[in-house]
Amino acid sequence: MQALKLFAAAALLALAPLAVAQETVRIGVVQPTTGPVAYDGNIYVNTVKMIVDDMNAKGGVLGKKIELLVEDGACNPAQSVNAAEKLVTRDKVVALLGAFCSTSTAAMMEVAKKHKVPHITGISTAAQLTEQGNPYFFRAVATTPMLGNAFGGVLPAAVKAKRFAFLVLNDDWGRSMAASYPKSIENAGGQIVATEFFQQSDLQFLSQITKVKAANPDAIVLAANTQQAAALSKQIRDLGVTVPLIGEGSWTSDSYLKLAGPASDGVYGLVEYVYTIKNPINDTFVKEFQAKLKENPTKFAGAAHNAIHIMVDAIKRAGAADPEKIRVALEKTDYNGLVGNIKFDDKHQAYGQTVYLAHVKGGVPEVVATAKIAKP
Amino acid sequence: MSASATILAQHLLNGVLIGCAYALIAMGLTMIFGVMNIANFAHGEFYMLGGFLAFYLVSLMGLGYFLALPAAVALVVALAIVLQHGIFRRLRDAPMMTTTLVTIGLSLFLEHVALLMWGPQPQSIPTPFPTTPLSFLGIYTTPLYLFCMAVTAALIVAGHLVIRKTKMGKAMRATFQNKEASALVGIRIDRVYMYAFAFGAALAAAAGAVLGGFIPVEPTTGGVVTLKAFVVVILGGMGSFVGAIVGGLVLGIAEALGAGYMPTGWKDAIGFFAVVLVLLFRPEGLFRRA
Repeated sequence: MQALKLFAAAALLALAPLAVAQETVRIGVVQPTTGPVAYDGNIYVNTVKMIVDDMNAKGGVLGKKIELLVEDGACNPAQSVNAAEKLVTRDKVVALLGAFCSTSTAAMMEVAKKHKVPHITGISTAAQLTEQGNPYFFRAVATTPMLGNAFGGVLPAAVKAKRFAFLVLNDDWGRSMAASYPKSIENAGGQIVATEFFQQSDLQFLSQITKVKAANPDAIVLAANTQQAAALSKQIRDLGVTVPLIGEGSWTSDSYLKLAGPASDGVYGLVEYVYTIKNPINDTFVKEFQAKLKENPTKFAGAAHNAIHIMVDAIKRAGAADPEKIRVALEKTDYNGLVGNIKFDDKHQAYGQTVYLAHVKGGVPEVVATAKIAKP
Repeated sequence: MSASATILAQHLLNGVLIGCAYALIAMGLTMIFGVMNIANFAHGEFYMLGGFLAFYLVSLMGLGYFLALPAAVALVVALAIVLQHGIFRRLRDAPMMTTTLVTIGLSLFLEHVALLMWGPQPQSIPTPFPTTPLSFLGIYTTPLYLFCMAVTAALIVAGHLVIRKTKMGKAMRATFQNKEASALVGIRIDRVYMYAFAFGAALAAAAGAVLGGFIPVEPTTGGVVTLKAFVVVILGGMGSFVGAIVGGLVLGIAEALGAGYMPTGWKDAIGFFAVVLVLLFRPEGLFRRA
């Protein structure tokens, strides 16, 4: 009898996911909720959850509820692959969002290709991701070279500087920044006087700052996320450097502004999204974000907003929760959202969206210049 | 001063500041290794806890900065005593592999407890010092940097004195040399272990609390700190106090000058290259254990 009960229980358990799978549209999310970029990864996850709750309250998609399945990729390629494998093979998701770090995304998109599941990243900017012709992979964010082309031309005039120094993270992001911005800065009349790198694990940058200072720049261009951005802004001022700082990364997020304190004043952020932009979609988003998550949305929240909306929009247009149909619908994306219109080119790279140069004054980032991402 | 001399002086000052911190952290690590024969991979987590606790005491409990620093260290010491009693005392005669694995586990545990308790966001400890930099002949520093240097240097001297001049220091050195013989002459090994572990943890926590003013601390900070501390300890000689102090300063200055006059991408490579050289040609470290 006992054995029979166990068997029945096991059978029920085995059938349960099937029953659920028919009632919901399952979307898998792989983001780092632990590890070095856990803070930003959690913002992404919480934003997607908030938006999906909203969509479900309004009836979901295709008459079904959207079910989110979140796995931790920890900014680690192996763990991100395992997470994506699990989401696709065990949880049977029809679409994937993620990952954060470009190396993890590169690993994860292979899983998407193998199992033929559409996959959007809203964050990873390494240029080569969309160069591989992976038919299931889409990138809803501008690459660093695209940002460089868009921003480089406006920087010398916008920050009134001629001599630019680069102090960037020593990874594909920082390196591609140091390779792509200079050309458009030089075309606009600027000049590059120093290029220095720091490691992801560095906590103090005194040597690099001393070196950059010796080159006597009018402005310093940086690539860093929250913790390093705050440490950099403080330490740069500590060593008596007073020129404007222009940063790609988390230079306008609440966490950075709080962490850097007065050192954040006058900093320029090169961002794909900032919470002070004025449009109806953003007004609603910011209001809800502040109410539910008790802070202002960061660029990672903006990235999450774009990615989940574009994916659900494609599911709606596909008319079925079928990965192949969603993929075809994604290719025809013409989405008007948070940062303007987004389309994908034939390599599945997003273009057309607006990017912002924000200037921090008294802890509030204000947009001082915008640029449009050109079709690559 | 000429421009290049000013830059050299600035690099040296940066190197001494960071070197003092390295030395302080490594001293605790080498003490735990020397006395207890434990390679403490959770050492960086004591640094991280020191920083976080100082942050919470200052900004949430409203404790004064100068009171919060020792209070944070005291809390970490209390934790170290609990860990010593609960775990390491039971492993006194266990092989080093066992204790090493335990400290690796402990480091993961502490990191994730911090993540659960305080979340993943980095924190910076508010200090009462003015943020305007001080300049002298074109060399820049801040009151906070000077305070850090003073505190780390004072703690290094204090640590050295404790080991050299006090009875407990003598007992530690005796245990260092020969555990069984020390026990035979009546030294209470468990107590020596407890002091060594608590003292080692205290030094790391003090570094975290002091540096937290300009280096934001987050739950994952410990890993990097442990790695740097091991570099210093291997450079200076496992178990050598003088080695940890000199090794810390050497690494700090070498990194500053190396990054200053070579491509900065190589900064971290310098320390590890030095470790490889030391292990190849002088595996006992620059200073033998004493």
